[in-house]
Amino acid sequence: MSDGPRLVYVCEGGDCSEKGSVELFEELRAQIHDKDSGNKSNIRVRKFPCFGGCAHGINVVVYPDRCFYSKVTAADIPEVVASLLENGKKIERLSGKVEKDVEQITFDLLTTGF
Amino acid sequence: MTSFVDLEAKIPNNVGLKDDPVIRRALETWQPAYLEWWRDMGPSDFKQDDIYLRTAVGVGRGGWANFGHVKMPDYRWGIFLADPETEGERKIKFGDAMGQPVWMQIPGEMRARARRLIVTQADTEPASVEQQRLLGHTAPSIYDMRNLFQVNVEEGRHLWAMVYLLHKYFGSEGRDEAEELLRRRSGDPDNPRVLQAFNKPIRDWMAFFCFTTFTDRDGKYQLAALAESGFDPLARTTQFMLTEEAHHLQVGENGIARIIERTAQLMKEGVDPRKVGAMPLDLIQRYINEWSSASYDLFGGEDSSNAAEAFATSLKGRYREGDGLYKDPLALNQNYETEIFENGVEKKVQIPLRRAMNALLLEAYHADATRIVARWNRVLEQYQLSERVYLPTLRFNRQIGLYGGLWFNPQGEQISKEAFERKRTEWLPVDADYQYVKNCMIKVWDRGKFANWIAPPPVGINNQPVDFEYVKFH
Repeated sequence: MSDGPRLVYVCEGGDCSEKGSVELFEELRAQIHDKDSGNKSNIRVRKFPCFGGCAHGINVVVYPDRCFYSKVTAADIPEVVASLLENGKKIERLSGKVEKDVEQITFDLLTTGF
Repeated sequence: MTSFVDLEAKIPNNVGLKDDPVIRRALETWQPAYLEWWRDMGPSDFKQDDIYLRTAVGVGRGGWANFGHVKMPDYRWGIFLADPETEGERKIKFGDAMGQPVWMQIPGEMRARARRLIVTQADTEPASVEQQRLLGHTAPSIYDMRNLFQVNVEEGRHLWAMVYLLHKYFGSEGRDEAEELLRRRSGDPDNPRVLQAFNKPIRDWMAFFCFTTFTDRDGKYQLAALAESGFDPLARTTQFMLTEEAHHLQVGENGIARIIERTAQLMKEGVDPRKVGAMPLDLIQRYINEWSSASYDLFGGEDSSNAAEAFATSLKGRYREGDGLYKDPLALNQNYETEIFENGVEKKVQIPLRRAMNALLLEAYHADATRIVARWNRVLEQYQLSERVYLPTLRFNRQIGLYGGLWFNPQGEQISKEAFERKRTEWLPVDADYQYVKNCMIKVWDRGKFANWIAPPPVGINNQPVDFEYVKFH
């Protein structure tokens, strides 16, 4: 997994998409592209059906970093991008909002696969 | 990176119809037949009413949809492909063609298989509109009525998306298929829809919410697998359809959650839901069992040579194939382990991984559905009730595949046919259930009001209040 892509999943479940996750996905992808047009960082921004942390959306998960960000808004995107491309630091203020079992199920789902 | 969106054209699109007169004319010829189908088989009545609808107007950065009051026959059904994820040459990520540039035209030897995949997907879109055409009359609120019509118009747009592919890439055979899509009818014994679950009547709003939770979700996973396709137009078409589909699944998931919430409120107050026209939990469970198990069958057999071929030819990938999570993008030299039953004895079998593609997709679906049921149970927890709903295992009530024709309880233990029949009324809805639910389906069309069997949503659509005038009747 270590040499694989770094995956940034934006939830596009019903509640998150009602809060604007589709637009947030596009903006996040565009800002990463603006700062790393050659994708040297090997980051892929993808949509994910739903993580189940609906009350805390918009949810964004970074894998394999195991970061589960909640209540993410457009205003947070520059900080998320900086975390991904520059400092690598987990954003604590966006973390730890969903139930622990929701986080665990999500990381289990992402880890499985042949 | 962002394509040009022509919103002024007769058919809004970002596929360059303006410069493609042959396809434009063909689609403009198909358009009146589509509108006639919508008139005949789309939502019954409500044609003169203004519905607060979302309309896709583009892809990419800066927003993709507009909201506004629209009469449904005037809805602007468009054709949109997602923009490519990366600039430059894109490569196929799985199957025997892995590493080749993605195909902008369908290779000749794959035409028949690709056409069948597209037609099977396309047929579900008008089918669901037909199944739901009478529901507006018994809407539990104008908020829910608006959601129903939103789902309907977007399923119509998905038909447009698929018909574009048929016209553009499959010549006269594609045009014939596009016409057939408007001729088949859900539930018509002489000319039914392709997949059985899409010939099943959606009699009431419980069934509608179960359909959008479980059956539409199958559609989502099928679209996600097609979104990985080496055939680039198919991949990008389905990627955009997935964006709209998310709302449909929310309608179902939140709809059942709201029904459970109303039931929980009553139970907490010591009121029997049946006494006040609400939905008792055992009845909700039977609907869950019915619609989830019917939806499992939509994935096809767990051991499938067709699925293997679709993967081998790089037409249909695994769920999240492009994420690079799979150790072997060729899916060779690996097996999928599952259980079968021979003479009542359970034993493990190994299926070559390529032949197990349907099973893998179904597993991902089941994990997602499990999460949803856990969410519904949180509602019961919040009301400090000990009762829970559950999701039946993949063996329950199957008509096809490894467990088709065998008998299992919802927990997956094999039982005799007689034992199943004795429990049938406990596990699956019977006529009395349908009749009870039908009796509860009384229209509530006043702003901000909801039928007694469903709780209001916590928030409205597009930041509007819950009591917004989602439907303006004329």
